[in-house]
Amino acid sequence: MNYGHPLEFGTFVTPTGEDAVALARRSEELGYDLVTFQDHPYQPAFHDTWTLMSWVAGQTERIHIAANVLNVPLRQPAVLARAAASLDLLSGGRFDLALGAGAFWDAIEAMGGRRLEPGEAVDALSEAIDIIRGLLDAGEPDPLRFDGEHHKLDGAERGPLPRHHIPIWLGAHKRRMLRLLGRKADGWMVTAGYLKPGEFRAGNKIIDEAATEAGRDPAEIRRMLNIGGTFTDQRQGFLQGPPEAWVDDLLPLVVEDGVGTFILMSDDAATLERFARDVAPALRAAVDRALPAPLPTGSFRSAAVRAKRRDGVDYDGVPRSLAELAVEPGDIDFSRVRSNYLRGGNPGIVLRPRSTAEVAEALAFARRHPDLPMGVRSGGHGVSGRSTNDGGIVIDLGFLDGVEVLDEATRRVRIGPGARWKQVAAALEPYGWALSSGDYGGVGVGGLATAGGIGFLGRKHGLTIDHLRAVEMVLADGSTVRASGTENADLFWAVRGAGANFGIVTSFEFEVDEVGEVGWAQLGFVASDTSGFLRRFGEVASSAPRDTTAFLVMGPPRRGQPAVAQLYGMVDSGDPDTVIAQLQPFARMAPMFQQQVVIAPYAAVMGMAPDAEHQGRGEPISRSAFIREITPEFADAAERLLHSGVVFFFQLRTVGGAVADVDPDATAYAHRDAGFSVVAMGVDRERLDRLWDGLSEHFDGLYLSFETDQRPERVADAFPPRTLGRLRELKGRYDPDNVFRDNFNIRPLTGGEES
Amino acid sequence: MTDTDYGHDLLFGTFVTPVNQPATQAVDLAVVSDRAGLDLVTFQDHPYQPRFHDTWTLMSYAASRTSQIHVSGNVLNLPLRQPAVLARSAASLDVLSGGRLELGIGAGGFWDAIAAMGGRRLSPGQAVEALEEAITVIREVWAADRPGPVRVDGKYYRVHGAKRGPKPPHDIGIWVGAYKPRMLRLIGRVADGWLPSLAYLPGGPADLAELNRHIDGAAAGAGRDPAQVRRLLNVGGQFAPTGRAFLDGPAEQWAEDLAGLTLEYGISGFVLATDDPYTIELFAAEVAPATRELVAAERGATAPVGVRPA
Repeated sequence: MNYGHPLEFGTFVTPTGEDAVALARRSEELGYDLVTFQDHPYQPAFHDTWTLMSWVAGQTERIHIAANVLNVPLRQPAVLARAAASLDLLSGGRFDLALGAGAFWDAIEAMGGRRLEPGEAVDALSEAIDIIRGLLDAGEPDPLRFDGEHHKLDGAERGPLPRHHIPIWLGAHKRRMLRLLGRKADGWMVTAGYLKPGEFRAGNKIIDEAATEAGRDPAEIRRMLNIGGTFTDQRQGFLQGPPEAWVDDLLPLVVEDGVGTFILMSDDAATLERFARDVAPALRAAVDRALPAPLPTGSFRSAAVRAKRRDGVDYDGVPRSLAELAVEPGDIDFSRVRSNYLRGGNPGIVLRPRSTAEVAEALAFARRHPDLPMGVRSGGHGVSGRSTNDGGIVIDLGFLDGVEVLDEATRRVRIGPGARWKQVAAALEPYGWALSSGDYGGVGVGGLATAGGIGFLGRKHGLTIDHLRAVEMVLADGSTVRASGTENADLFWAVRGAGANFGIVTSFEFEVDEVGEVGWAQLGFVASDTSGFLRRFGEVASSAPRDTTAFLVMGPPRRGQPAVAQLYGMVDSGDPDTVIAQLQPFARMAPMFQQQVVIAPYAAVMGMAPDAEHQGRGEPISRSAFIREITPEFADAAERLLHSGVVFFFQLRTVGGAVADVDPDATAYAHRDAGFSVVAMGVDRERLDRLWDGLSEHFDGLYLSFETDQRPERVADAFPPRTLGRLRELKGRYDPDNVFRDNFNIRPLTGGEES
Repeated sequence: MTDTDYGHDLLFGTFVTPVNQPATQAVDLAVVSDRAGLDLVTFQDHPYQPRFHDTWTLMSYAASRTSQIHVSGNVLNLPLRQPAVLARSAASLDVLSGGRLELGIGAGGFWDAIAAMGGRRLSPGQAVEALEEAITVIREVWAADRPGPVRVDGKYYRVHGAKRGPKPPHDIGIWVGAYKPRMLRLIGRVADGWLPSLAYLPGGPADLAELNRHIDGAAAGAGRDPAQVRRLLNVGGQFAPTGRAFLDGPAEQWAEDLAGLTLEYGISGFVLATDDPYTIELFAAEVAPATRELVAAERGATAPVGVRPA
């Protein structure tokens, strides 16, 4: 029988000299899927296999690398696990772990290894597999404790998470090993030359039975056969003949015995080439003809992975185009995509479309699950974390991350929602351009560019959405539309400030600004008189020339230390004298304990954000507000807030300037007259809400991107009545079924209601 | 040449944090170090730390992606690395890299974490003895020309009858990280180099004099020339427009600070702890040549510039 694995081909290269590296590279050039090396650490004629595999990983780009097989008795399993993850991470997910129980015990003992009886060696290997799997299961929070007969781990930290699911293959021949393999491994590696007739089939049977007994599907286990042979003009025996004869010899092994991978044992480049050219493709074609259905090409999910599936998600109904990149809870990539920057998540499935058409398919899939939450994620930075959920569907736009110049003369740029602002800044810098974004380059384009975009160039150049000229978006009904000042103008109005309620933007067209190098300042102040300091900041920041935009961050004062404030400011000028002149009034606000001012490209400022994966946990607690100015009363209230112990992060972003030049009715972002955006983050929602709600007399609206309060009143704070009325009407038109609701929801206006 | 200058050519290198996220950051910094013309790139080794790469894997991969620079652990965790396998791995990497491996190694320190990984817990004294045995094993494995198999019947490591070889293509330096007298005496007896960190010397550079004396005394006692032990030092610092403190100032001041360490304390390898490409380039382009010039002038001869570790 065949187990349904896509047919793959590998090489088995003797680990000696420089030839081993050259043959590995040649294997890659010839299109092999895998290169493998035997591992005999007691054999000085061979390279150390781990070192060689790491070296080869650095010399290749595509091919997978494995031992055939690793000598576990001379390799410490916990160290081996982390080394495997390292090699997988460094190689971009190309390392596979093939293990053996050890055989040459005299040599192993001579090296300082422990001599084991064959049965003991199988048990020791079984323990090693548990340890390796346990350490690589980086999603488990608790350290790994393992009390085995042969190995003991006393609370080792888990991780790192490998790049791809590293399969564990075993070299096995005897019954006990085959049964272990059936219980625990992902593949069987065996050498054809060591098998008597019928032994391969008998081995499969033992594996299949053990797998079934362990509740596994035998098809999870790939069958891999090391083969050797010679090309000759006339058939002389098994794998001794012309390529056609090789195909005839190998075909029944695939069709009847389920071999999924053939590994050619040869150090002869001509043989490797002939096999790749004349045998592998012909065998693939013959297999396709012989099997009732073509072999699948997608990923195969094991019983262990399927066991982690959530209720209510139609996993088998994921559209074919999305299936390959979809991530479900048991997948290795799940911990990379489940959470946001600040919010922990546990979705049932994450779909990762690569095109507008695939976004529409993903949305259609989500709509078939009306009872499940649906999140749409660009960069995953949104403070409220609405782009992930628990048990629902996430549409992750990370692959739609293109940045493309459409017209150099008009500085028109098309940007995908999944790009990060640091990427955008880096792409625009060579043109001498920039687009004001937020305060952090790790933020994704889609969320920010549909909400507002309060950034460091804001007072000079306005909000990010003020540069938007057109969008392409997928609407709730699955249709794709373009919206601009002249096409679907009402939708274009709504997208600029309330986009998340109206659809999924799949590309943005911006007109960006000419921006040369900028002055970038980080100033640390002693703000013992916090209220007075905030008042002075308010005066200086709002009266500064428009080329200067300053943000202020404060935390609670530390015990026994004065309160401090950190100012981050940008001056849109590359002239040091101008930069210094604009910063002087800030420098006089209070004593400074630290200052750093540099002239740098905007891209360098955005580029400071690291490329780390999001590992948010729990629920972020953050409140947002706009204020016109920093009145003495607000400054006093802010000081009390900072001393309350409830707030650990407090930020003021200066707006005004060019932001206020825009008519409040021109976009759904209506709070054009605000002087500052204020954000407070805490750990106790109830206490923060109580304090924050008590400050409402100072507030005039809020900015949704910094808000986490899910009470419906917040929508009315975000949008003034006239704006909200129009939004509800448009929501009724564009999303009457309220598909896009797992956010700050604008309820669609239905026929019977007055707006 | 002053009394405590052992006359080695100077080496300049980096101490790069082996973080595994982003996955290739450490490799990229190794490539920067290589292109900048530095002699050495080194990585700490904490196999129990899941935020770091496995250092041997990283060293092998980084060596594969570079062309001139030597690579070393700084320092390898012996308790979690089997000495006979390590010896052959080192020889392999030296072969593959064309003689660019150095073996920085330590006795181990974080015993709870080592035990948590399944390693053997040793007392500090036992760990020193184990390291000395391991060095014997490693040298025996490398001694491919000697007759008979390796026979080291130690208290901690027993390698009995293992084949010798392969022979590394260059004399791999065994450099030991150490601060305490017992370890320093071990270095004097059997190591090729000493690799401490300046930040761990409570008295700063002045402590080097006494620590050197332990090594020198033990070397002499073992019939070795103290100059057989290269003195390297991990240092940290920052570049600033004006001089503020030791290794905190402009490149010229760094050169004077480092040349002082060579001439007063015999330090001939400077390993800069940094993950910043610009700092690496400045260190290579401005500090290294200026330091070499100052030392050469003081030694009264022109030192070869750009010599790699022997």
